[in-house]
Amino acid sequence: MALLEVKDLDVRFAVRGGDLTALRGISFSLDKGERLGLVGESGAGKSVAAFSILNLIAQPGYIAGGQILFEGKDLAAMSERELRRIRGNRIAMIFQDPMMTLNPVLTIGTQMVESILAHRSISKKEARAIALDRLQKVQIPSPEKRLDQYPHELSGGMRQRVIIAIALLLDPEIIIADEPTTALDVTIQAEIMDLLLNLCEQENVALMLITHDLGVVSQVTQRMLVMYSGRIIEQGPTREIINDAQHPYTQGLINALPQMGEPGERLFQIPGSMPSLKNVPTGCPFHPRCNFATEQCKQSMPEYVRSGNVSVACYEVANLIEQEKRMQEAES
Amino acid sequence: MTSPLVSIRGLEKRFDLSGSLLEQITFEGGRFRRKQEAVHAINGVDLDVHKGEALCVVGESGCGKSTVARTVMGLLSPSAGEIHYDGQRIDNLERKDSLPFRRKMQMIFQNPYASLNPRMTIQQTLEEPIRFHHPDWSQSRIRDKIQEVMQSVGIDPDWGSRFGHEFSGGQRQRIAIARALAVDPEFIVADEPISALDVSIQAQVLNLLMDAQESRGLTYLFITHDLAVVEHFGTRVAVMYLGRVCELADTKTLFAAPRHPYTQALLSAIPKLEDDRPNHIRLKGEVPTPVNLPSGCVFHGRCPYVNERCRQEVPQLITTDSGTQVACHAVEEGRL
Repeated sequence: MALLEVKDLDVRFAVRGGDLTALRGISFSLDKGERLGLVGESGAGKSVAAFSILNLIAQPGYIAGGQILFEGKDLAAMSERELRRIRGNRIAMIFQDPMMTLNPVLTIGTQMVESILAHRSISKKEARAIALDRLQKVQIPSPEKRLDQYPHELSGGMRQRVIIAIALLLDPEIIIADEPTTALDVTIQAEIMDLLLNLCEQENVALMLITHDLGVVSQVTQRMLVMYSGRIIEQGPTREIINDAQHPYTQGLINALPQMGEPGERLFQIPGSMPSLKNVPTGCPFHPRCNFATEQCKQSMPEYVRSGNVSVACYEVANLIEQEKRMQEAES
Repeated sequence: MTSPLVSIRGLEKRFDLSGSLLEQITFEGGRFRRKQEAVHAINGVDLDVHKGEALCVVGESGCGKSTVARTVMGLLSPSAGEIHYDGQRIDNLERKDSLPFRRKMQMIFQNPYASLNPRMTIQQTLEEPIRFHHPDWSQSRIRDKIQEVMQSVGIDPDWGSRFGHEFSGGQRQRIAIARALAVDPEFIVADEPISALDVSIQAQVLNLLMDAQESRGLTYLFITHDLAVVEHFGTRVAVMYLGRVCELADTKTLFAAPRHPYTQALLSAIPKLEDDRPNHIRLKGEVPTPVNLPSGCVFHGRCPYVNERCRQEVPQLITTDSGTQVACHAVEEGRL
């Protein structure tokens, strides 16, 4: 059984004039110690997907359907009280901006001890020892000193290390990291990603990494999901998708990267932009930007088809697979 | 080689942190003292931008790349040094004398959500610079010009009566580019023009900038932290660290054979699609604050090849066999 299994998750936002559907039919699973990447552009719903796992979506958002099974128990149906025992304890989260996540008026030590004592009944002294141990794990220089420092005394990279240390405090099963390095410089980003990857491997923690950077996904994760306009359009092993993307959107996303083009030549570009939730196109949401769109794509949302280990929601891909099958049958 | 279009000589820029005279005075050890502190944003930068090229300036936050852009544009006045445009010094001009240069030099900013006036329609936004620089133009001539630039950036001219908030991020950046192109500039300073945009939109805007360069013969000073964009877009690259240029080379040469240890670390840190694991040169420590600059080479605290000379003496840019200019004692002495 998978550690975390999300089945047919629907998330909506109740606004004037009816509900907006932010996530539609999201299904995926995460095994123990596995690293999964969630990729997409802004507005694709990747952060909503991550937040809804711990029911952190703020009003007027709500989970309209589906299940989120963590070790067989449905997080979506849990009371706030039960959920609090899991949040931060069994499933930890790392957010994008470390300055927003740390309390500016409390020392690092106070904040770390506080989160341990919220879940464990141990003495403050023991909690402080755990905090110190985690700061050492994230390779912060002179960790004892840091415990008594305030967030503003640390640099951006150091703060993100503290955040990772806090996420590790209670030995979680899953860490959900929402764009953990977007606010950082490249050299610092490389160090933080390296650290996160090594810690997850050492401690056998599962990682759900939300990012828009395909390079990072390729370095860190084993499997990935590509989201577009609130749906998963492609999911499978990271290497397979990066090397041979099936969905026209994923292909476009990869080919639009400057490193894929010849220097000085025009880049491949996907026309248009992601639709807003207020007017999601009918059928496949990508059809207005897609070169392969047919009448069928405008009518109905394609089902997932399997191509190797990858599952893709695209009529064009389904047709190609169908053709190939027929050709093979004709040959034999 | 012909003379450069823009040339920057010995540029320095300090931002005073210490406030007014009264705020500077402190009482220490029984006597009053005057304490002055400044951020040393740029510490002696020499750059030439040649006609028709795209010179990219890269570096991490706080290295002074945006300050260079703003100083060149005259949005900030340099603390020392000179800026020349087409042979004429422009950093000390009176407002009236600087007008013709302002038309020839235009800027595109990072955040298109902040750089468009929310209370102006697109028509008004584009009209303003034209009216300012060409007070003698007739209404119909202005209208034609606006039509032309809007078409060239792929925005429907019928949308002129809309406001900025009605457009997506990519469209707004196109409008910001149209505003820069409206007065037919020769030289465009683009300060991180695509970093606020999504990947698929970045490609659209980069293509647009390259098309404009070709059709209008533009010269770019392109500020970015994204090295993949530089490799694609830049003719030459200047790598900055703590307010100094540490390496300057043709894009191809720089990416094929980076010489400065900082450039090497920076290039290795880009996450690549073909990597299965992070695979980068580890630098010790963090970027020092530009308030108290390190002595000698600004990079010496993090450099794996540091020696005594690096701690004492500031390295100057030297030209190597490949044509790369690099400011590093280790390269000069042949240790690297």
